[in-house]
Formats: sequence, structure tokens, C-alpha cells
Amino acid sequence: MITLKAYLFISLVLFVTGLVIIISRKNIVAILLGIELILNSAALNFVAYSKYTAVNLDGHVFALFIIVIAAAEAAVGLAIVIRFFQVKESVHIDEASDLREELTR
Amino acid sequence: MFSDILFLSSSSLIIASCVLMMWTKNLMHSCVYLLGVLIGIAGLYLTLGADFVAATQVMVYVGGVVILMLFAVMLTGGKDFQSRSQKILGLLPLMGSKYTFMWGSATAMVFGFCQIYFFRHLFFELKVQETTSNQYAPTIEKIGELLITDHVVAFEISSVLLLGALVGAAIIARPRKERPAFLEPDHHDDHGEDHH
Repeated sequence: MITLKAYLFISLVLFVTGLVIIISRKNIVAILLGIELILNSAALNFVAYSKYTAVNLDGHVFALFIIVIAAAEAAVGLAIVIRFFQVKESVHIDEASDLREELTR
Repeated sequence: MFSDILFLSSSSLIIASCVLMMWTKNLMHSCVYLLGVLIGIAGLYLTLGADFVAATQVMVYVGGVVILMLFAVMLTGGKDFQSRSQKILGLLPLMGSKYTFMWGSATAMVFGFCQIYFFRHLFFELKVQETTSNQYAPTIEKIGELLITDHVVAFEISSVLLLGALVGAAIIARPRKERPAFLEPDHHDDHGEDHH
């Protein structure tokens, strides 16, 4: 019989992995990968609690909303990354220090 | 029995893919390992009896988000998404260095310890009333009813959010070039007739 703690442990592993990737990586696309991992750990927690408390299926609905918001975030984030690469010719996170492109080049 | 086997295989796939995703230097390989993580999470959803969420996970993430990530890696990385040397690491759009991995691992250990310590009543002395019924029922009908009764406002707002996100992404990522040559009045007259 699988307990809830096993799912919580898997979710903790996913969250910590995402945190390590966000902190350690220098590439903006890799940081977006870490954000996806953290969102997935939250959705896994919602579905696990929805199974083991068995009140209703609200956890499933919240997991679906998390998936929708993650898809929207990925689309906008990758568009920003591609635009950033067009301006700066780089996707290094330390290059992202301006709010607008320099006019005098 | 079948759910135990599925849980063990999915969780081992998730943990192995997470470790490899942290470990590798190649961003392309990291995206492929993210694929393994997402498929493993879909397997965990199946063990939890969430069939519709598992199908949505596979369709949206594996079919959409990972492909978007691979497109972004190939559009921005070029030849330089794989690290070759530690010395020129700061000059290239790369993955990280020893120091960033050290700080990330230290923060992760501290955060994981704090999370287990503060939520230890969840991990060790769990008081959630667990149900013993191990039967699985299809959830699509109930999810559909919930989406148009209890969560209808969030459903509509998420549709507007998706529309805004897609239009915004198309506006942000469009190429902003200079004015094309045929719109400039001085270039049009000079170079148009020389070739004839």
C-alpha cells in the first residue's frame, strides 16, 4: 500500500531539484526548466492530497489549472528569452541587467 | 499490485531524471531528462487514480512545453549550449560553474532540512484521515461538473489568461528589424534601375 508520505517525498525531491537548477544554472532556458519542476511538484501534492483525504476532486481541478498556467508561463517566458537573445546575442542571466535596449551602440 | 509496480518505476524514473538533469552540462540533454520527469509524474497521477490529469500532463507538457523548450534551446544556444571549458564559462551562454552548483546544493540541503523539520508532522506523524478504498473510478465526468459549477470563474479567467499569454508571446517574440529597403525613398531610386 502506497502511503501519502511517498508522494510527499517525491514532491520534495522535485522541489529541491528545481531550486538547485534555478540557483545554479546561468542559462535562462535552464531556469525555466527549474520553474517547470517546481510547478509539477505543487500539482503532484494537490492530486496526492485529493486522493488520500477523498473529500472531492478539487485537487484534480487545481492541478489542471496549474498545468494551464505553466503552459502560459512557458510560452511567455520563452518569447521573452528569444527576444532577449535577439537584443543581447546571449542567454546568460548576468546579461539581463537592462529594462530596455541601449540606444547608443 | 500493478499500482505498486507503476509507482516504483515512475518514482525511480523521476529521481534518476532529476539527478541527471542537475548533473548534465548539456541543456539539450537536460530537456530530454525533463521529458523523463514529466512522464514519471504522469505515471504517479495514474497511481493516484487521476486519469484525466495524467492525460492532460502528457498532452500539454510532453507534447507542448518540452517542444517549446527544445525550440528555445536550439534558437538561442546554437553551437554554444554545451560547455567545453571552465575558463571561458563566463563568456558563453552556459549552464553554471562549480561555485553556483556549490551554493545551489547548500541552499537545497538547508531548505530541504528546514522543510522536513517544519512539516515533520506531515512526514512522520501524519494525521490525515487516509481512506482505505483502493478502487479507481473515472474522474472526467466529475471534473467536468466541477469546472462548470464550482470553479467556473477560474475556468473563464484561465481561458482569458491563455489568450492573453499567446497574443503577448507572439507580440514579444516578433522580429523587430529596421525598415525594409523598399520603404526607404533614397534607396529605391538608385539601385532599382542599375541591373536592367
